[in-house]
Order: sequence, then structure tokens, then C-alpha cells
Amino acid sequence: MPEDNKQNKESDFPFPPWLKASMEVWSNITKTIPKPDFAEAEKQSASNNRLAEQWQRNVNLMKSFSKLMSEPEAAATAMKAMNTLPEIIFKMAKSGWEASFQLQKNVLEKAGKIRRHTEAYNFDNIDQETFKVLTDVYEKELRQYFNIPPLGLTRFYQERFNKFLDKQNTFETKVAEFLSIIYLPIEKSFKALEEKLQAMAKEGILPKEVKENYAIWLKILEGHYMKLFQSKDYTDALHDTLEKMEDYLLAKDEAMRDFLQFFPVPTNKDMDELYKELHLLKKRVKELEKNIKSA
Amino acid sequence: MKQTKIPVDLILESMAKSAEDAQKRVSKASDVLLGDLNTALATTPYEVVYEEDRVKLKHYFRSETAENKLKIPLLVIYALINRETMLDLQADRSVVKTFLSEGIDLYMMDWGYPTRKDRFLTIDDHVTGYINNAVDFIREKHGIPKINLMGICMGGSFCVMYSALHPEKIKNLVTTVTPTNFDTEQGLLHVWMRNLDVDKMIRAFGNIPGDLMNLGFLLLNPARLIIDKYVGFSENMDNKDFVENFVRMEKWIFDSPDVPGETFRQFIDDCYKKNLLIQSKMYLGGKRVDLKKLTMPLLNFYGKFDHLVPPEACEKLVKTVGSKDVEDICLETGHIGIYVSSKIQRQFAPKIAQWLRERDQEDIIVRQAKTARNLPAAAGRQKPPAKELIKPSSRRRRQPAAKSKSSLMQKIAEAI
Repeated sequence: MPEDNKQNKESDFPFPPWLKASMEVWSNITKTIPKPDFAEAEKQSASNNRLAEQWQRNVNLMKSFSKLMSEPEAAATAMKAMNTLPEIIFKMAKSGWEASFQLQKNVLEKAGKIRRHTEAYNFDNIDQETFKVLTDVYEKELRQYFNIPPLGLTRFYQERFNKFLDKQNTFETKVAEFLSIIYLPIEKSFKALEEKLQAMAKEGILPKEVKENYAIWLKILEGHYMKLFQSKDYTDALHDTLEKMEDYLLAKDEAMRDFLQFFPVPTNKDMDELYKELHLLKKRVKELEKNIKSA
Repeated sequence: MKQTKIPVDLILESMAKSAEDAQKRVSKASDVLLGDLNTALATTPYEVVYEEDRVKLKHYFRSETAENKLKIPLLVIYALINRETMLDLQADRSVVKTFLSEGIDLYMMDWGYPTRKDRFLTIDDHVTGYINNAVDFIREKHGIPKINLMGICMGGSFCVMYSALHPEKIKNLVTTVTPTNFDTEQGLLHVWMRNLDVDKMIRAFGNIPGDLMNLGFLLLNPARLIIDKYVGFSENMDNKDFVENFVRMEKWIFDSPDVPGETFRQFIDDCYKKNLLIQSKMYLGGKRVDLKKLTMPLLNFYGKFDHLVPPEACEKLVKTVGSKDVEDICLETGHIGIYVSSKIQRQFAPKIAQWLRERDQEDIIVRQAKTARNLPAAAGRQKPPAKELIKPSSRRRRQPAAKSKSSLMQKIAEAI
């Protein structure tokens, strides 16, 4: 059985033969390189010597790696580790697809509900499921990748940049939601206009002029907007959008600071500190001037 | 079931005619739009007589030979939102021109364009700093102890604050569309501002961008301000006069300086959220703004259809001040209509001039008495002090103005 296992592992893993062949090629090339003549080497520049030494070191490293990889157990372990990479990519793609399907499904459901939800002058419980799902999908499925803790020397720079990307995505989602709310009265006003015109047609007083129709629609639209603006949902959405915009601007400012400092260009923070000092100094000077004048 | 008879033929005929008219209009409009247009605003000549940081004090030229001259100069303080050019939008609808022709010696504050370095300026810096310095400059220039002060919108609130802190320097106070009571559900702005996280806003923006505020104002009535306004323009774009006036209005509306961050924060926190001003609980530079100290005559204008500063935000002022000579005037227009509507123009600026004139005569006596006490430099020219005249107690309330058929420009002005 162990023999079979070994066979299987070897067949699963095609690298040992390739490594062996490649090792032979590079060893032969190394052999063709003339051995260093110490007298000559002294004449050579230090950099050439370092190059030859580095070459030899690399070949040795490759030899030991090849030897190690010819052991089926080691190769299998390495392969297993390599297999996890596609797994991660697959997991990411999967969550992306799921999010996309979920969103598509919701959009289709919403499309089917358009007429049902278009109730004139009613903005209670605005149907914003699509955007809630979009936000939900982003927050649950995608945001986590921006939250992977960055490591190493540049970790804080990465962290700030990731935060900027995260806040930008959140803000864009909110803007889309807000715009859809702003569009709602237009959607509803057409429905209300249709109903009104039907009623007028029944009475035989249908407007003949395009302008009259426009005036009726505008009045309906204005009424819808006034109703919408007084709703809690709208006020919440407005504040939420503004807040997300502020989050985005703050994150952008922080990320930008890193770039500006690199160049070096004074950042908003630097300038604000300076302006504050200047402002306080000016106030003091003016106060002193006044005191001197009145003395 | 009875079939409804729809006059399809008539509708189609009307649509065809409309299309034909539109085609003609577009053809003529191209001549207008491609031709020379006079869209300059704020063309009344003036000189800058005082400057401090970004702030300028404009002094307009009036005819010195005119017989109707008022003795006490008037300083107009505009809001920090948009620009004072609104008072001189076009020659035939200019508050500035009317004031000058009525004999008013007119000064106007130009707040300029705040930059990031102005973000730490507070209301105190504007009121007891810039306004106080401008008032002192005019007093010194004219050798008088008191001047007339007129405020517009937020500028009016600043004038109320200033006059309460320095009643000794203000002869008459005129407030126009001035919010002082912020505890109202009438205006959407009041409702929206209440839950604003102003600290975060200031951190994010520094100064509050004018464009952001403009977007907010447009969203107060998108049907009129984003759709109908431009539909109206397309219907009249073959009319040169209309196009010129429309473009002037557009230039003014979208000329929006940023608002210094700390001033905005203080205005939202102290006024919109805590409503401190009308309760005389607001503090500026450590001093309480006590509205009972507003003992000078007060004329208070506001718009019945103003959705930015609704009547409820303005009308409480006259009941709160210490003065007995107060007058409330409610005009049937919107926030900007008071200043730019041709119909309202005939009632607004002449009324202010007349009101000031009635109190200008009294002031000569007061002026002489006060000048003798407060300004040693003018002592050489002084006359024996006289008794201050008793002012008429005219606690009049709303005087609704007549409403006539509005023009499109008027409608736009009323919608703002």
C-alpha cells in the first residue's frame, strides 16, 4: 500500500521529473563555466566575483530544493499549500458571483413590483430593497477583503488606502440609493398623471395642449416631492448619504496625505494647523491694537 | 358601457402646432444665444472704502446734489451664503439703485470668498470683528455715533446679534428674511438641519462648499428649480431680454462662496439646534446676546412663501425685542422674490427708504446729543444738546401685499 501511495503521489505531482531535468541542464551549464583562477580573480573587479559567488549559491540552492522536491511527501505538502491559492481565489469569485446573483434576483423581483409599489403621494416605507441588498452584499461579502489586516512596513499605508476604497464603495452605493429615492416622485407622478388623465377623459375634458398636460404633471410632481421631503425615510437617506460622503472625504484625505508627504507637499492637516495658529495670532494682534488705541 | 370620446384630432393638431412653434423658436433663439448678451450684474458704481482680510466695504455713489438725501448712512449686511450682488441684479430691478435714488447713503459689506484659511472664523469674528469694524469706520468717516443697519437672511441674524451687543452704535435696524426663531417645522431646512452631524461635516469639508449648499437648495424644490425653470427658459430663449435676465439670475444663484466651517458649526449648533438667539441665550465672545437690548426702531420684512426662512422663523423677533417702535411686514413672495421681483420691488425698497426717512429727522437731534457725548473729535462742531424726540409706537403686524399674475422670472424668484 505505501508503495501505491508513493506511486499515486508521484503521478499527481509532475514537478519532480521536470525539476530533475531542469537541474541537470543548469548543473551542466555551471560546469562549463571555467573555475576561478585566483591570480586572475584578483585582477577582476569585486562585483564580478560577487556575481560568480551568487551564481554558485543559487545553483546550490536549486540543487537542494530539487533534492527536497524529489521526496514525494515533501512535494505533496508543497502541492497542498499551492492548492489553497486557487481555493482562495475560488472563494472570492464565489462570493462575488453569489452577490451578483442575489442582486440580479432582487432587481428582477423589484421590476415585477414597480406598478404595485407606485402608490401616489405615499412615501412611507419606501421600497429600497435593491439598494439594501446591494449594501448588504457589499458589507457582508466584499468589504471583508478590505479589512484583511495588512502586514509589514507599509501596513499603515495599505490600511489607509483600503479604508479609502471601502468608504468610496459605500458612498457610491449610498448615492445610488439616494438618487433612486429622488427619482421616485417622477415615477409616481407619471402614474398619477395617467390616472388623472383617464378620469378627465371619462368626463370629456382632456387637455388639448401639451403645455396643459405638462402643467398638470408638474403640479403633481411638486406635490410628490413635497410629500417625499417630509418623510422620515427621505430625511434618513439624505443624512446617511451626507455622512457616507463625509466618511469618504475623510478617508480620501488620509490616503492623500501619504502621497503628499512623499512628494513633499503640505497636507490639509498641516495647513489647517498653520491657519489655526495664524487665526489665533491675528486675533491677539487685533486685540492688542485695540487696547493700544484705547489706552 | 359608455365610450369616452377623446378629441384625438385636436390633440394631434395641437401637437403639430407646438412642434412648429418650437422649431421657429429654436431658430430665433440661436440668433439670441449667439449674439451679444448683456448679462453683467452689480453694475452700479461703487468704491471700496475699507478692507480687512477677504472682506470689503463698498460705498455706492449717490447724487450729492439731490434734495432728498438721508443724513444717516445705511450699512447693508448680506448673508454668507451667495453674494450681495443680488441687490443689484439688473438696472430695472435693483434695490441698490432704488436706495440711491431715494437718497440713502449706502454702504454694503462684501464678504468675499472664504478660503480654507478662513475655516476657523466664528460668528463672533464676523459680528464683533468685521461688522463692528465696518460700523466704526462709517461712524468715524461721517462723525456720527450711530448708523442704520440692514441685514439680509443670515446677515440679518448677524445684524440682530450686533445690534444687541452694540445698541449704542445702531440708529435703526432693518431685518429682511431674517431667521431668529429656529424652532419651527415650517421650513424643510429647519427639519433637515436639526439632525446634521455638523462636527463631522466640518472635519470632512473644512469650509462648507457653496456648491453643496446650492445642491441642497435645489433639492428643496426640484420640480420648479431643476425642471420647470429650464423648461421656462427653453420656451423663452428667443426673447433677448428674458435670456439676459435669466442668465444674470443663473450667474447670481451659482456664485456661491463657501461658508467658513466654524461659523457654520456655530450657526447650526446655537441657532438651528438649540435655538438660542430668540431666547437671548446665545453668547458671542463671552457676551450674552440679549434681544431686550434691541431698543432701536426695528423694521422686519419676510416672505409669506419663503421656504428657506419661513414666516414662523421671522415673526417672533418683534415680540422679543426691547424696542417699542417695531413693524412687521409680510410680503406675498419667496425668499429671493423680495429683492428681485419687479412687483415686490415697488413695495420693498421704497418702504425702507420712507421708514428710514421718518426716523432720519429725529436722528439729527439725537445725533447732536450723542455726538457731543461720544465723539470728542466732533465737539467743535456741536450744537447744544436737545431732547430726543418720542418715537411713535407702531407695533404694526403683517401687511400682506396684493398678489398679481406672476411672470416666469417672478415665479423663479418666488421658488427660491
